Amino acid sequence: MTIISLILITLVWVRCAKDFPVDEDGLLITSRAQCYVSNFELLGADFQTVRTAAAVIDTTALTINTIVLYGTDLKNLYPQFSLVTDAKLDPKITGKVDFSDLTNPKKYTVISGNRQVKKTYTVYITVQPKP
Amino acid sequence: MQRKYFGLIPLILVIIVFFSCKNEEYSVPLGKTGLNNDCIKRTLGPNIVGNNIEFAYAMAIPALEGKIVSAQVVASIAGAPATYLENRSFYTNASGVDVGITVGSPSVNTDNKTMVTFTKDTCASTLRYFYSIPEAARGQSVTFTFSAISSNGQTVSYEMGPYAIVKMDMKLDLVATDNKACYISIADMAIYDAATAAANADKIDLVYLYRAITGLTFNHALASPAATEYLPGITLPAGVSKSTKMSKTWALNDFNLARLQYGIYIDDADFKVIDFTNAPNFVINLKAQAGAWVETADGKYRAYIYINSVNNATSSMTVSIKRYLMK
Repeated sequence: MTIISLILITLVWVRCAKDFPVDEDGLLITSRAQCYVSNFELLGADFQTVRTAAAVIDTTALTINTIVLYGTDLKNLYPQFSLVTDAKLDPKITGKVDFSDLTNPKKYTVISGNRQVKKTYTVYITVQPKP
Repeated sequence: MQRKYFGLIPLILVIIVFFSCKNEEYSVPLGKTGLNNDCIKRTLGPNIVGNNIEFAYAMAIPALEGKIVSAQVVASIAGAPATYLENRSFYTNASGVDVGITVGSPSVNTDNKTMVTFTKDTCASTLRYFYSIPEAARGQSVTFTFSAISSNGQTVSYEMGPYAIVKMDMKLDLVATDNKACYISIADMAIYDAATAAANADKIDLVYLYRAITGLTFNHALASPAATEYLPGITLPAGVSKSTKMSKTWALNDFNLARLQYGIYIDDADFKVIDFTNAPNFVINLKAQAGAWVETADGKYRAYIYINSVNNATSSMTVSIKRYLMK
């Protein structure tokens, strides 16, 4: 009788344990509040980098500055963001992105692991000038 | 009550061991009798007009029953004149080299039939068949019937196919040289110098150039005549002005074009799905093993240009092209 009671209690306990919370994308919501971009890459249509040097990421000013090669096809680029653990990006990158409107730089929002902190980064692209 | 069954356990074990250890009688397998045949297709990838489809056709009969008299292949569409059936049977020697032994007279093509008549007393042979894909087969399907006849009157046959023949064209190892033969025509799949380009101005889709510009990675480039910013120092022949859409690739080493170890094949279907929306009309900084998808200004052709090699010293580039007629 005692054993049966113990099993029942265990079942009830397991059944009522709180599920891990997930967001609307099915991603785990954690306790992390960090919210920043740690690395940025830009690939061309041939999936090779178009940067002339590493992108400069300012986590205070929330800017990403990168210089791309002369002749880069700005309408067909694949951006790649590396984010702090558990963070996610909005909007999602699902394919080629058109960066050709240099006067209206693209903005991407980083959302922290606990989904409480949001920081919007602006990506500034400069094309390598012709000498 | 229960213990009386424990005595049965050793007995069961003995029975299991007895049956499991029983020797199976071995008998030497008997070979097939009569004339037999088999066939494999040796080539992979799309079947392109002008290329070969290669097969290996094997036939054998027990020596006591007879010998092979002839072998033939009937294609549903007659092959190009270069089609032939080997009259040698190959074996691989200790050094890994295929050595051919002549077993019959050279093959004879009659309409869509290719035949070898055996001249050696042979009871087993594998002959290779090279079907040179004719223009008539473009966009069609081809089937093959391999057959052999033995001296005892037996006949065997083996059906292969159908195999789809692609619509695309292919041209290999075209050499473009800066400021000389640098005008590329997708319609003609050729590279022209300025004088010939002027005479074929409506067919010139791209210009090849090489520029070593300090501070820039320009190097080897393909640019539309309309992309004048990327044609420094070039005076275009009269009438050459088209804008050709392009999409740069890297390491898309199509086996037919690159002839390297990679098992990648660009097929007809690939040309149809390339999205040229917002595609530029130039590609610069090209290296060996790079390439470009191309769509002509009128949308008539799509092509894939593969860079086989580049040479800075001679300002030249060797390219191979697959081209698909869109409309």
